[in-house]
Amino acid sequence: MALRRPAPDGNGRRDCDPKKKRKEAEIFQALSSDPVDVAALRRMAISEGGLLVDEIRRRVWPKLLNVNTEDLPPPPGEDLRENNKDYQQVLLDVRRSLRRFPPGMPDEQREGLQEELIDSILQVLQRNPQLHYYQGYHDIVVTFLLVVGERLATALVEKLSTHHLRDFMDPTMDNTKHILNYLMPIIDQVNPELHDFMQRAEVGTIFALSWLITWFGHVLSDFRHVVRLYDFFLACHPLMPIYFAAVIVLHRAEEVLACECDMASVHHLLSQIPQDLPYETLISRAGDLFVQFPPSELAREAAQQQAERTAASTFKDFELASAQQRPDTVLRQRFRDRLRAEERAKSLLVTKPRTNRFVKLAVMGLTVALGAAALAVVKSALEWAPKFELQIFP
Amino acid sequence: MAAAVAEVESSLELSLPGGGVPGFLPPARSRIFKIIVIGDSNVGKTCLTYRFCAGRFPERTEATIGVDFRERAVDIDGERIKIQLWDTAGQERFRKSMVQHYYRNVHAVVFVYDMTNLASFHSLPLWIEECKQHLLANDIPRILVGNKCDLRSAIQVPTDVAQKFADTHSMPLFETSAKNPNDNDHVEAIFMTLAHKLKSHKPLMLSQPPDNTVHLEPAAKPAITCWC
Repeated sequence: MALRRPAPDGNGRRDCDPKKKRKEAEIFQALSSDPVDVAALRRMAISEGGLLVDEIRRRVWPKLLNVNTEDLPPPPGEDLRENNKDYQQVLLDVRRSLRRFPPGMPDEQREGLQEELIDSILQVLQRNPQLHYYQGYHDIVVTFLLVVGERLATALVEKLSTHHLRDFMDPTMDNTKHILNYLMPIIDQVNPELHDFMQRAEVGTIFALSWLITWFGHVLSDFRHVVRLYDFFLACHPLMPIYFAAVIVLHRAEEVLACECDMASVHHLLSQIPQDLPYETLISRAGDLFVQFPPSELAREAAQQQAERTAASTFKDFELASAQQRPDTVLRQRFRDRLRAEERAKSLLVTKPRTNRFVKLAVMGLTVALGAAALAVVKSALEWAPKFELQIFP
Repeated sequence: MAAAVAEVESSLELSLPGGGVPGFLPPARSRIFKIIVIGDSNVGKTCLTYRFCAGRFPERTEATIGVDFRERAVDIDGERIKIQLWDTAGQERFRKSMVQHYYRNVHAVVFVYDMTNLASFHSLPLWIEECKQHLLANDIPRILVGNKCDLRSAIQVPTDVAQKFADTHSMPLFETSAKNPNDNDHVEAIFMTLAHKLKSHKPLMLSQPPDNTVHLEPAAKPAITCWC
C-alpha cells in the first residue's frame, strides 16, 4: 500500500529500453531548441510513459506551466506562519499526510519535508489572498515538493493554483461541484446504461471529489502513477482530470452494474480505486474522449445535470416517503431520453470518422497551448451554475 | 483497511440475491441504518467509524476529502442489520456545499468533538444548526461523542460542561477514545446503543429498493399520499 518514489537507480534502468531512450532524446531536443518546443513537450508528457523520470520532470514541468526557473519567488519571511488564517488547518492536514512520503524515509527527513510542505502551501496562500486552502491541496503540493524541491515547487504550485486549480480555491466549492457535473454527461456519451444505473442509485459524484481536487494524489498509493498522471494533467486542459475520472468509472462498468443499485454500494465501490489500473490505456482513452466530446459541448449538459439533480434532490427532501417518487422518476426519465436523443443527433454530426491519435494529441496540445482561452471555456461554463443555485435557494 | 473492506464485502454479498429484479420481493433483505458522523476537522471521526467497522484503531489516517463510507453488519436480537456510517470531511468548505447530499434519509446523527480541543466543542452549535437545516424531520436520534478521553492531561472540555450542553440539546453524551485499548468496547457500545434505539423506534425503515421496482413494503412514514 505504501507509496514508492522512483529510486535514483531507476535512471540507470531506462537505458535498457530503446523506446524510452528515443523518447528521452526527443524530450532533450525539445528542451534545447530555441525557443523551447513546448508543444512537443506537451505531446511527450501525454504520450506513453509521460516524462519517464523525475530528473526530466524537474526540467519539463516548469516549461509546461511557463514558469521561469531563473526568477523564483523569494524564500518566505519569518512571519509566514503568523496571522495566517489557514495555518491550523494546513498543519493538521500535513501532520496526518504520512502516507504521501516514501515508506523507507527516515522520520527526521520526512518531518523536514513536512515543514517545507507547510511553508510552501502558506507561501502560495500568502502571495495570493484570493485563493482559499482546501483539504487535499496538500496532496497536490507534496507531489511537487517530492519531485522538484521546495523552492521550485512553490513557484509551480503558485502557477497551478491560479490556473488549473483556481476553481477549487474559491471561497466556496460551488464551482468544484459544477466541474463534477461534467462527469455524468461524459459517462452518458459512452455508456448510457451505466449512466442510468448510477443515476438510479443516486450515487452523486462526491466519490470522485478527492480524485479531482488532488489530481488522484490522495487515492493512488504508488507515487510513480501519481507523477505519470501529473505529466498528463499538466499538459492538458484543466478539465482533463474529470475526463480521466469518467474513464476510470467506465473502465469499471461491469463491477458497477453488478453492484446493488443504491447510493452506498456504488459510492463505496467507486471510491475504492483499484491500484492496478492500466494507466496508459486510460490516459489515451481520456484524451480520445476529450477530443470527441470537448468541454464546450458538455457544458450545457453539465448545467442541465445540475438543474435536474438539484430539482430531484429537493423534491426528495420534501418528500421523505417514497409515495410520490414514481411519477417524478418517469418524468425525469422521459426528459432525459429526449435530451439524449437530441445529443445523439448532435454528436452524429460532430463525431466525424475517428481521427488518428496523433492528430488528436496535437489538437489537445493546441487546446492547452491556448491556455487562457481554454480557461475561458471553463469559466464561461461555470457561469451556468450560480443561476440554478439561486432558483433553488433564493 | 483490509478488515473493513472484508466486512463490507461480506455484507453486500448477502444482500445481493433478489436485489434489482423488478416486481420481485427480495427475500429477507437486511435492514439498513444510515448514520452520518459530523464535527470539526481532526476530532477523530474517521478513527471512530474505523474502530467500529474494523474493530481496531487505524494506524494512520489522513484528512477525509468529501465523504467516506464504512459499513458493518451486526446482529441485534436475532436480526441482521447493516449499519452504514458516513464519515464526513471536517473543513467548513466541504460541509457547506458537498455534504448535504449525505444528510438525505439518514436515520441518526453523531456529533463528534475533541475533548482536548475546546474550539471543536464550541463549533457544535454550528453543526447542530446546520444539521437542523438539512434534516426535515426533528425526531431523528442524535448523539454527542467527546473523543480522545485517553489524553487525560490535555482535556479542555470538562464533562459537566459537555453534559449540560448535551442536556440542552436533548442528546445523550458519550466520552470515549477511539484509540485507547482499555476502552475497547466503548465505541462499539455507543454505536450499538444507537442501533438498538433505531431498531426499537423505526420498525419499518427498510433498505431502499431501486426507484423503479414495485414497493411492497409499507412506506416508512405516514405522509401526504397522492397517487396521481
